[in-house]
Amino acid sequence: MAHSTLLAFKAGRGFRREGTNFVDPSPTKGAILLRKEEDLLHLVWKNRATNEVEEDLILFPSDATFSKVSQGSGRVYVLKFSSSDQRHFFWMQDASSERDDEFVNNVNGFLMDPDYEASWGSSSQPEASTSTAGASSSSVPSNFQATPEQLAQLQQLLSSAVGAGAAAPSEMSLNDILTPANITPLFTSHPDLIPTLFPHLPPDLPMPPSPEVVQRIISSPQFRSSVSSFDQALRTGLLGGLVRGLGLPEEAGTGIEPFLRAIQRQADQEGEDSMDTD
Amino acid sequence: MSGDDDSNGWQLTESDPGVFSELLKTLGVPLIVDDLYSLDPDSLASLQPLHALIFLFKWVSTTSEGMSGNYDPEFPGFFAHQVVNNACATLAVLNALGNIPALKSGSQLTQLLEFTSGMDPQTRGLVVTSSDWLREAHNSLSPPSAISLDGLGLPKQTEEAYHFVVYLPFMGFVYELDGLKPHPIRHGSYHETGEGWLSRAREVIENRIATYSPEALDFSLLALRDDPLPSIQTELSDLQAAGRQAEAAELVVKLEGETSKRNRWNFENSLRRHNHVGLVHSLLVALAKAGRLEPAKESAKSIMKERISKAKMKGETMDES
Repeated sequence: MAHSTLLAFKAGRGFRREGTNFVDPSPTKGAILLRKEEDLLHLVWKNRATNEVEEDLILFPSDATFSKVSQGSGRVYVLKFSSSDQRHFFWMQDASSERDDEFVNNVNGFLMDPDYEASWGSSSQPEASTSTAGASSSSVPSNFQATPEQLAQLQQLLSSAVGAGAAAPSEMSLNDILTPANITPLFTSHPDLIPTLFPHLPPDLPMPPSPEVVQRIISSPQFRSSVSSFDQALRTGLLGGLVRGLGLPEEAGTGIEPFLRAIQRQADQEGEDSMDTD
Repeated sequence: MSGDDDSNGWQLTESDPGVFSELLKTLGVPLIVDDLYSLDPDSLASLQPLHALIFLFKWVSTTSEGMSGNYDPEFPGFFAHQVVNNACATLAVLNALGNIPALKSGSQLTQLLEFTSGMDPQTRGLVVTSSDWLREAHNSLSPPSAISLDGLGLPKQTEEAYHFVVYLPFMGFVYELDGLKPHPIRHGSYHETGEGWLSRAREVIENRIATYSPEALDFSLLALRDDPLPSIQTELSDLQAAGRQAEAAELVVKLEGETSKRNRWNFENSLRRHNHVGLVHSLLVALAKAGRLEPAKESAKSIMKERISKAKMKGETMDES
């Protein structure tokens, strides 16, 4: 797949807190890349820890703008579309804010016109925001194509990051919440809640669902091991997509605390709606 | 892009008799695997007909065990090299099954064994590992990989790799089949009378265990044996028909033991195959609706604090495992 990277800079994503105008920055280290693929402009967000592309947006000329979010002190920007309500929030992750304006201006230039000619200041490498001092700036072409040296630098920038698995330490573990001691009292105090669990039990259990079976499952090594895996995965902050399948907002997938908060809100909401749960 | 680079799509499985026995069922083989707690003659006798012993241990960088027995490069039976680490359990099972005379098996396994006959161990290992149906049978006892949270760069926190070595009789000798060694190892011969090959096997295994220091090795033994259920059931109806109530009663106890063991295996296997995320979510929602989530969080936080300070006192680091 032939593509050229027009520019790239370190950026994280932010997610709107449900029902508010607050945007919570996700700590995951990433980068925004603007790429041209077969005449289409893409804005790509790459996770620098896993090196995976997690967001790939196609941008039609003049459809989107990249603007600073004026409230708050952070270097937060929003990608807004005129063709839809989509909003994508990003925050600058380079230690220095010196070049923020330069990058943003060039991003908007490309968003207007994919054939835009980027203009870079007289200092170091134009296409990658590194904090290291620059190489020669003498023969930087104005219609920028990355040289092999610059691409190598970009590669380094994208791969040098927190190692995989270095998740934020959590002050609590899901396994300590989902204990028989915490769950079993529900059987007597809230017996109507127990059938809500049945659709989620293994479909091929050799016995019919019942509170005893639920208790046996919660105490089993297989379940506890699943909970540990899920706990660990949550702490990487990367489960935004997965939790949407549970009816939760994307930011619920950014950590244990956001996950549990979103669950409480979901439970309160369902209580208010007073609709029968599944 | 998922987990292990060299896993070739083989997922790591638990080395549990229930998992093995389910695999055997899928292969159409009327055998089961049981835990073996002792090598004494009575324990082994109760498991007859017994076809192979599987010795499994957490891999330790080898204390140089002087090798007992001799390599047999001319071994005419089935021996495959372990080519993919995650496939080690299934490979050990095949190395056993491939050498059991007159074994009843499903058509896929029969064809696989026929197809690989005459191949060298390395090629056999490659053929076995690239067998799609076998890999699917192997993987069917872990959660589906799309939702096993692979690809998130998590440190592998599943079981450390166990290594499996098979001991079985073949043409008058006790053989040791180890997929990581170049050839099968021939230990001594045995008499067909009494315990037969088992007494020789016991000697070899006990000697092996004795060479490891107690702390260095975490091991277990499994027995590959005929599934006793059909014959217990037949014998029971015969005894009952003949009015031999006392013996029938004893057999009923044995039958109940076997049946409850299978129920436990089936229960555990259904948990292994299941993606529990939905259950985790609905349990937390239930707690939240009952107003119990906040207190549970608070107690979880203090448990964690205690755990961390205990670990600090012991001088450990709190790296999750």
